[in-house]
Amino acid sequence: MNIFVLWKPAIEILILWFVIYHIMLFFEGTRAIQVLRGIVILLLAFFVFQNMGFLILDWLLTKLFAISVIAILIIFHPEIRQGLARLGKRHLFGTVLREEELDFILSQIVKASEILSRDKIGALIAIQREDSLTPYTESGVIIDAKVSIELIQTIFTPGSMLHDGGLVVQHGRIMAGGCLFPLTASQDLSRIFGTRHRAALGLSEETDAIVIVVSEERQDMSFAYQGRLHQDVSPGEMLTRIKDIIKIKKENE
Amino acid sequence: MNKAKISVFYRISHWFTYHPWLKVISFLLAVLVWFYVRGEISKFNY
Repeated sequence: MNIFVLWKPAIEILILWFVIYHIMLFFEGTRAIQVLRGIVILLLAFFVFQNMGFLILDWLLTKLFAISVIAILIIFHPEIRQGLARLGKRHLFGTVLREEELDFILSQIVKASEILSRDKIGALIAIQREDSLTPYTESGVIIDAKVSIELIQTIFTPGSMLHDGGLVVQHGRIMAGGCLFPLTASQDLSRIFGTRHRAALGLSEETDAIVIVVSEERQDMSFAYQGRLHQDVSPGEMLTRIKDIIKIKKENE
Repeated sequence: MNKAKISVFYRISHWFTYHPWLKVISFLLAVLVWFYVRGEISKFNY
Protein backbone atom coordinates (compact mmCIF):
# COMPACT_ATOMS: atom_id res chain seq x y z
CA MET A 1 0.00 0.00 0.00
CA ASN A 2 1.20 3.46 -0.87
CA ILE A 3 2.36 5.25 2.28
CA PHE A 4 0.79 8.51 1.09
CA VAL A 5 -2.65 6.91 1.31
CA LEU A 6 -2.14 6.49 5.06
CA TRP A 7 -0.95 9.95 6.05
CA LYS A 8 -4.35 11.62 5.96
CA PRO A 9 -6.11 9.09 8.26
CA ALA A 10 -3.02 9.15 10.54
CA ILE A 11 -3.22 12.95 10.88
CA GLU A 12 -6.99 12.77 11.44
CA ILE A 13 -6.55 10.17 14.20
CA LEU A 14 -3.73 12.20 15.78
CA ILE A 15 -5.92 15.33 15.85
CA LEU A 16 -8.82 13.32 17.31
CA TRP A 17 -6.44 11.83 19.89
CA PHE A 18 -5.17 15.28 20.88
CA VAL A 19 -8.71 16.64 21.27
CA ILE A 20 -10.07 13.61 23.20
CA TYR A 21 -6.98 13.50 25.46
CA HIS A 22 -7.30 17.17 26.38
CA ILE A 23 -11.03 16.83 27.03
CA MET A 24 -10.30 13.90 29.39
CA LEU A 25 -7.38 15.74 30.99
CA PHE A 26 -9.60 18.74 31.59
CA PHE A 27 -12.14 16.64 33.47
CA GLU A 28 -9.53 14.57 35.38
CA GLY A 29 -9.66 15.29 39.10
CA THR A 30 -13.09 16.98 38.93
CA ARG A 31 -16.58 15.71 39.72
CA ALA A 32 -17.32 15.59 35.99
CA ILE A 33 -14.93 12.64 35.49
CA GLN A 34 -17.61 10.20 36.73
CA VAL A 35 -20.03 11.48 34.06
CA LEU A 36 -17.30 11.24 31.44
CA ARG A 37 -16.55 7.64 32.48
CA GLY A 38 -20.26 6.85 32.06
CA ILE A 39 -20.26 8.35 28.57
CA VAL A 40 -17.16 6.32 27.60
CA ILE A 41 -18.83 3.10 28.85
CA LEU A 42 -22.00 3.95 26.88
CA LEU A 43 -19.90 4.62 23.77
CA LEU A 44 -18.15 1.26 24.08
CA ALA A 45 -21.51 -0.50 24.64
CA PHE A 46 -22.83 1.28 21.56
CA PHE A 47 -20.00 -0.04 19.36
CA VAL A 48 -20.38 -3.56 20.77
CA PHE A 49 -24.17 -3.59 20.16
CA GLN A 50 -23.75 -2.22 16.67
CA ASN A 51 -21.11 -4.76 15.65
CA MET A 52 -23.02 -7.68 17.18
CA GLY A 53 -26.20 -6.69 15.36
CA PHE A 54 -28.35 -5.92 18.45
CA LEU A 55 -30.78 -3.70 16.57
CA ILE A 56 -33.06 -2.61 19.43
CA LEU A 57 -30.22 -1.67 21.81
CA ASP A 58 -28.35 0.00 18.94
CA TRP A 59 -31.47 2.05 18.08
CA LEU A 60 -32.02 3.01 21.73
CA LEU A 61 -28.43 4.15 22.25
CA THR A 62 -28.43 6.09 18.96
CA LYS A 63 -31.52 8.03 20.11
CA LEU A 64 -29.98 8.49 23.56
CA PHE A 65 -26.81 10.01 22.08
CA ALA A 66 -28.86 12.41 19.95
CA ILE A 67 -30.56 13.76 23.08
CA SER A 68 -27.42 13.60 25.23
CA VAL A 69 -25.60 16.18 23.06
CA ILE A 70 -28.01 18.87 24.33
CA ALA A 71 -27.91 17.44 27.86
CA ILE A 72 -24.07 17.54 27.91
CA LEU A 73 -24.07 21.15 26.69
CA ILE A 74 -26.40 22.14 29.54
CA ILE A 75 -24.74 20.03 32.29
CA PHE A 76 -21.18 21.00 31.37
CA HIS A 77 -21.91 24.61 30.45
CA PRO A 78 -19.50 26.14 33.03
CA GLU A 79 -16.74 23.59 32.30
CA ILE A 80 -17.04 24.08 28.53
CA ARG A 81 -16.85 27.86 28.93
CA GLN A 82 -13.77 27.59 31.16
CA GLY A 83 -12.19 25.02 28.86
CA LEU A 84 -12.54 27.24 25.80
CA ALA A 85 -11.12 30.19 27.75
CA ARG A 86 -8.16 28.06 28.85
CA LEU A 87 -7.58 26.69 25.35
CA GLY A 88 -6.65 30.09 23.99
CA LYS A 89 -4.45 31.05 26.92
CA ARG A 90 -2.45 27.90 27.52
CA HIS A 91 1.28 28.44 27.87
CA LEU A 92 3.07 25.84 25.79
CA PHE A 93 6.45 26.70 27.27
CA GLY A 94 5.77 27.40 30.93
CA THR A 95 8.24 27.47 33.77
CA VAL A 96 8.88 25.40 36.87
CA LEU A 97 10.26 26.59 40.17
CA ARG A 98 13.38 25.27 41.83
CA GLU A 99 12.86 23.52 45.16
CA GLU A 100 14.41 26.32 47.24
CA GLU A 101 12.23 28.90 45.46
CA LEU A 102 9.16 26.80 46.13
CA ASP A 103 10.12 26.43 49.82
CA PHE A 104 10.61 30.18 50.13
CA ILE A 105 7.28 31.00 48.48
CA LEU A 106 5.37 28.47 50.59
CA SER A 107 6.99 29.69 53.80
CA GLN A 108 6.05 33.29 52.94
CA ILE A 109 2.43 32.31 52.24
CA VAL A 110 2.11 30.21 55.40
CA LYS A 111 3.80 32.87 57.55
CA ALA A 112 1.48 35.54 56.14
CA SER A 113 -1.54 33.28 56.81
CA GLU A 114 -0.34 32.78 60.39
CA ILE A 115 -0.09 36.55 60.97
CA LEU A 116 -3.51 37.11 59.38
CA SER A 117 -5.16 34.46 61.57
CA ARG A 118 -3.52 35.94 64.67
CA ASP A 119 -4.87 39.38 63.70
CA LYS A 120 -8.39 37.93 63.10
CA ILE A 121 -8.27 38.66 59.36
CA GLY A 122 -9.80 36.22 56.89
CA ALA A 123 -7.85 35.11 53.81
CA LEU A 124 -8.19 32.84 50.80
CA ILE A 125 -5.06 31.89 48.85
CA ALA A 126 -4.95 29.47 45.90
CA ILE A 127 -1.62 27.98 44.80
CA GLN A 128 -1.67 26.77 41.22
CA ARG A 129 -0.39 23.28 40.42
CA GLU A 130 -0.89 21.61 37.01
CA ASP A 131 -4.35 22.99 36.26
CA SER A 132 -4.35 26.59 35.17
CA LEU A 133 -6.09 29.09 37.44
CA THR A 134 -6.09 31.75 34.71
CA PRO A 135 -9.90 31.59 34.25
CA TYR A 136 -10.26 32.55 37.92
CA THR A 137 -7.74 35.38 37.72
CA GLU A 138 -9.98 36.98 35.10
CA SER A 139 -12.62 37.61 37.75
CA GLY A 140 -10.13 39.53 39.90
CA VAL A 141 -7.45 42.18 39.51
CA ILE A 142 -4.05 41.27 38.03
CA ILE A 143 -1.17 42.02 40.41
CA ASP A 144 1.75 39.94 39.02
CA ALA A 145 4.13 40.59 41.92
CA LYS A 146 6.68 38.67 44.00
CA VAL A 147 5.28 36.68 46.90
CA SER A 148 5.89 38.48 50.17
CA ILE A 149 4.36 38.43 53.64
CA GLU A 150 3.81 42.18 53.55
CA LEU A 151 1.95 42.13 50.23
CA ILE A 152 -0.35 39.27 51.28
CA GLN A 153 -1.10 41.07 54.55
CA THR A 154 -1.83 44.31 52.70
CA ILE A 155 -4.19 42.64 50.25
CA PHE A 156 -6.27 40.99 52.96
CA THR A 157 -6.38 43.99 55.30
CA PRO A 158 -10.08 44.85 55.77
CA GLY A 159 -10.96 47.92 53.77
CA SER A 160 -8.51 47.20 50.95
CA MET A 161 -10.13 46.90 47.52
CA LEU A 162 -9.02 43.29 47.06
CA HIS A 163 -9.53 41.83 50.52
CA ASP A 164 -12.92 40.34 49.69
CA GLY A 165 -11.93 37.56 47.30
CA GLY A 166 -9.26 34.96 46.62
CA LEU A 167 -5.58 35.47 45.91
CA VAL A 168 -4.07 33.41 43.09
CA VAL A 169 -0.41 32.35 43.19
CA GLN A 170 0.77 31.27 39.74
CA HIS A 171 4.32 30.37 38.64
CA GLY A 172 5.67 31.55 41.99
CA ARG A 173 4.11 35.01 41.76
CA ILE A 174 1.02 36.63 43.20
CA MET A 175 -0.89 36.81 39.95
CA ALA A 176 -4.27 38.23 40.96
CA GLY A 177 -6.35 39.31 43.93
CA GLY A 178 -10.07 39.67 44.59
CA CYS A 179 -10.78 36.57 42.48
CA LEU A 180 -14.06 34.68 42.61
CA PHE A 181 -13.79 30.92 43.16
CA PRO A 182 -16.58 28.38 42.56
CA LEU A 183 -18.49 27.38 45.69
CA THR A 184 -18.76 23.71 46.59
CA ALA A 185 -22.19 22.11 46.48
CA SER A 186 -21.08 19.53 49.05
CA GLN A 187 -23.55 18.91 51.85
CA ASP A 188 -20.84 17.34 54.03
CA LEU A 189 -19.31 20.68 54.96
CA SER A 190 -20.32 21.79 58.44
CA ARG A 191 -22.62 24.80 58.83
CA ILE A 192 -19.95 26.55 60.88
CA PHE A 193 -17.95 27.12 57.69
CA GLY A 194 -18.84 30.15 55.62
CA THR A 195 -18.51 31.15 51.99
CA ARG A 196 -14.71 31.40 52.16
CA HIS A 197 -14.35 27.73 53.10
CA ARG A 198 -16.97 26.76 50.50
CA ALA A 199 -14.97 28.63 47.86
CA ALA A 200 -11.72 26.95 48.94
CA LEU A 201 -13.32 23.52 48.73
CA GLY A 202 -15.08 24.38 45.46
CA LEU A 203 -11.83 25.39 43.76
CA SER A 204 -10.04 22.29 45.07
CA GLU A 205 -12.81 20.13 43.57
CA GLU A 206 -12.58 21.81 40.17
CA THR A 207 -8.77 22.01 39.95
CA ASP A 208 -5.66 20.47 41.55
CA ALA A 209 -4.82 23.75 43.30
CA ILE A 210 -3.93 23.91 47.00
CA VAL A 211 -6.21 26.48 48.62
CA ILE A 212 -5.30 27.99 52.00
CA VAL A 213 -8.13 29.50 53.99
CA VAL A 214 -7.83 31.60 57.13
CA SER A 215 -10.89 31.98 59.32
CA GLU A 216 -11.36 35.39 60.89
CA GLU A 217 -13.91 34.13 63.44
CA ARG A 218 -12.11 31.04 64.72
CA GLN A 219 -8.59 32.34 63.96
CA ASP A 220 -7.58 28.99 62.51
CA MET A 221 -5.86 27.97 59.29
CA SER A 222 -7.08 25.23 56.97
CA PHE A 223 -6.29 24.12 53.44
CA ALA A 224 -8.31 22.38 50.76
CA TYR A 225 -6.85 19.93 48.28
CA GLN A 226 -8.60 17.57 45.85
CA GLY A 227 -12.02 18.25 47.36
CA ARG A 228 -10.91 17.65 50.97
CA LEU A 229 -10.69 20.26 53.68
CA HIS A 230 -7.82 19.81 56.14
CA GLN A 231 -9.09 21.78 59.11
CA ASP A 232 -7.31 23.72 61.82
CA VAL A 233 -3.71 22.83 61.02
CA SER A 234 -0.75 24.54 62.66
CA PRO A 235 1.54 26.68 60.43
CA GLY A 236 4.38 24.15 60.67
CA GLU A 237 2.11 21.23 59.87
CA MET A 238 0.54 23.11 56.97
CA LEU A 239 3.95 23.88 55.45
CA THR A 240 5.07 20.25 55.77
CA ARG A 241 1.83 18.82 54.38
CA ILE A 242 1.71 21.20 51.42
CA LYS A 243 5.37 20.44 50.62
CA ASP A 244 4.59 16.70 50.85
CA ILE A 245 1.64 17.04 48.46
CA ILE A 246 3.79 18.88 45.93
CA LYS A 247 6.67 16.38 46.28
CA ILE A 248 4.40 13.32 46.00
CA LYS A 249 2.78 14.79 42.90
CA LYS A 250 6.19 15.55 41.36
CA GLU A 251 7.37 11.99 42.03
CA ASN A 252 4.18 10.57 40.48
CA GLU A 253 4.70 12.66 37.39
CA MET B 1 13.21 35.33 42.21
CA ASN B 2 14.14 33.60 38.97
CA LYS B 3 12.10 30.86 37.35
CA ALA B 4 14.00 27.88 35.95
CA LYS B 5 13.29 26.88 32.35
CA ILE B 6 12.31 23.27 31.74
CA SER B 7 14.62 21.37 29.41
CA VAL B 8 13.38 19.77 26.18
CA PHE B 9 14.34 16.33 27.51
CA TYR B 10 12.24 16.90 30.64
CA ARG B 11 9.29 17.94 28.49
CA ILE B 12 9.57 14.82 26.29
CA SER B 13 9.96 12.45 29.27
CA HIS B 14 7.14 14.25 31.09
CA TRP B 15 4.85 13.71 28.09
CA PHE B 16 5.32 9.95 28.35
CA THR B 17 4.99 9.72 32.12
CA TYR B 18 2.16 12.20 32.70
CA HIS B 19 -1.25 10.40 32.66
CA PRO B 20 -0.07 7.48 30.47
CA TRP B 21 -3.38 5.60 30.81
CA LEU B 22 -5.38 8.64 29.84
CA LYS B 23 -3.26 8.85 26.69
CA VAL B 24 -3.82 5.16 25.87
CA ILE B 25 -7.59 5.35 26.45
CA SER B 26 -7.95 8.57 24.48
CA PHE B 27 -5.94 7.04 21.61
CA LEU B 28 -8.21 3.97 21.54
CA LEU B 29 -11.26 6.23 21.58
CA ALA B 30 -9.81 8.33 18.74
CA VAL B 31 -9.28 5.21 16.60
CA LEU B 32 -12.79 3.98 17.47
CA VAL B 33 -14.38 7.31 16.58
CA TRP B 34 -12.42 7.55 13.32
CA PHE B 35 -13.50 4.08 12.15
CA TYR B 36 -17.11 4.72 13.23
CA VAL B 37 -17.31 8.01 11.31
CA ARG B 38 -15.68 6.42 8.25
CA GLY B 39 -18.26 3.62 8.41
CA GLU B 40 -21.11 6.13 8.66
CA ILE B 41 -19.74 8.20 5.79
CA SER B 42 -19.35 5.14 3.53
CA LYS B 43 -23.01 4.24 4.16
CA PHE B 44 -24.06 7.41 2.38
CA ASN B 45 -21.40 7.13 -0.37
CA TYR B 46 -19.93 10.60 0.17
